[in-house]
Amino acid sequence: MNRSPFSNPYVLILPGFLLSAFIILWPLVQLSQLSLSDVSRFGQIRGFAGLENYISVFSDPDFLGALWRTLIWTVGIVVGSIITALPLAIVLHQDFYGRGLARVIIMLPWAVSLTMTAIVWRWALNGEIGMLNSALTGLGIIDTNIQWLAQASTAFPMQIMIGIMVSVPFTVTIFLGGLSSIPDDLYEAARLEGAGAVQLFTKITLPLIRPFLNIAIVLNTIYVFNSFPIIWATTQGGPANSTDILVTYLYKLGFRFGKLGEASALSIMMFALLLLFTLVYVALAMRGEKE
Amino acid sequence: MSVKWKRTFWSWLFLAPFVLLILFPFAVMFVTAVKPATEVLEPTWWPSELVWRNFLTMWEATNFGPALWNSIYVAVVSTAIAIMVSIPAAYALSRFRFAAKGFFRQFLLVSQMLSPMVLVIGLFKLVVWLGILDNINSVVFVYAAFNIAFTVWMLQSYFSTIPKDLEEAAWMEGANPFKALVKVFLPLAVPAISVTAIFSFINAWNEFVIALTMLRRQEVYTLPIQVFSLVAGRYTVEWHHVMAAALVATIPVAIIFAWLQRYLVRGLAIGAVK
Repeated sequence: MNRSPFSNPYVLILPGFLLSAFIILWPLVQLSQLSLSDVSRFGQIRGFAGLENYISVFSDPDFLGALWRTLIWTVGIVVGSIITALPLAIVLHQDFYGRGLARVIIMLPWAVSLTMTAIVWRWALNGEIGMLNSALTGLGIIDTNIQWLAQASTAFPMQIMIGIMVSVPFTVTIFLGGLSSIPDDLYEAARLEGAGAVQLFTKITLPLIRPFLNIAIVLNTIYVFNSFPIIWATTQGGPANSTDILVTYLYKLGFRFGKLGEASALSIMMFALLLLFTLVYVALAMRGEKE
Repeated sequence: MSVKWKRTFWSWLFLAPFVLLILFPFAVMFVTAVKPATEVLEPTWWPSELVWRNFLTMWEATNFGPALWNSIYVAVVSTAIAIMVSIPAAYALSRFRFAAKGFFRQFLLVSQMLSPMVLVIGLFKLVVWLGILDNINSVVFVYAAFNIAFTVWMLQSYFSTIPKDLEEAAWMEGANPFKALVKVFLPLAVPAISVTAIFSFINAWNEFVIALTMLRRQEVYTLPIQVFSLVAGRYTVEWHHVMAAALVATIPVAIIFAWLQRYLVRGLAIGAVK
């Protein structure tokens, strides 16, 4: 029986392992090579360049702008979605009529492709004919149309708002998992001791969903950091690169400006950062496993 | 008024602004999609009449049919490939003890988190090297390979919940491991495999940046790229067609997803604990 390949775990794992390792490692090797080379527009390697590509990425003011905006983007969306998701999860955890429906509605943004969501918002935020302006005018909140996507000062906050909206469902689901792991008798016991609602929240709920909070922060950071479609499909990083974050800047660098060497250097740096986030996640997940 | 009704009132009152905000884009999509072409550029909410015909004219005007077919092809084939190589791997993880198990699980966790976005230039080179740029199979290949980490992870977490006894009984009866796997184990694993396959399908269906990079001719566009191409860099955008296309491309998948999302969470959660 043991001679059958179907009882040898290494044989069983091999095809999946090879394919998924190949799709990450092959591009990674290419990127490292390109990032250290003098590369033509068409990907031809003209010679060794040392760290020149890395240096020229750092001396580009557009990169520094995008880097700063990536920080605002990531922190804004992660914090925003956690602050929004926690009360939502607490409400959705209660027993009330129509809870199933409420959960489906809250989950909806997760189900729609980011591209489509962004395109719909691009239309809704249109300055002249967009429905947000017409809705706000109708409600008497504004009296002149706002050109939402025409300048970064309104476009970027709107993009962050869309980002929060699409991240909330995933975050709520993680919190719901956390809340359902807290035994009810803990609350009952605390209530008998005379604890109020605020105390129940800060002394029981918050500490006990702490691991779930950590996971939500790390996973959201990874997803948001990588998120490309919302910005690309609303403004493509414009006007004048003023809403670019690292991923859209990377795409432009590689596929618009044809600076493949610099784009590869940026990729490698982003990959390293992402790997760091991921290792934090793995450490958290494995720690949860041991407990 | 009973306690539960009171709670229902407060809960919905709290949820109301979120529900409004979430449904707003859907309302925009729907209202624009059924507006008469002449009214689309007027910022009114209610159309003078509902023009259902827009959905028919959209089909031709937006090249919807071919893009729909491309999306279905990409999502089905990439899912099939990912599932086929993931079943044995997930089976091995859930049934056998072996030295590299811990390493393989960490490898999966890490690669599940790595987005194709940061590798996009390397992936582009890969596709050029393989000679499949502008070929729909380039996207199939990349999606399949990138989905493996997720599908193996989901499958192994469900496979671990299927009791071992039946296969062991089959071995006792003299069935070889392959036969035990196909005849005894796989039928029990069908629900887990279908749920995982649907999520892999939805991932591929919604993917944007890889398709944007690899597919540059309209004949090979998938739906997100097709709809995006109707909006980006154009002077006149036929918004009623765009919204009708977005609606048709989105709603079926959204319903399936909303219906199945609890399995996704359960699968990922069991995977993280077991």
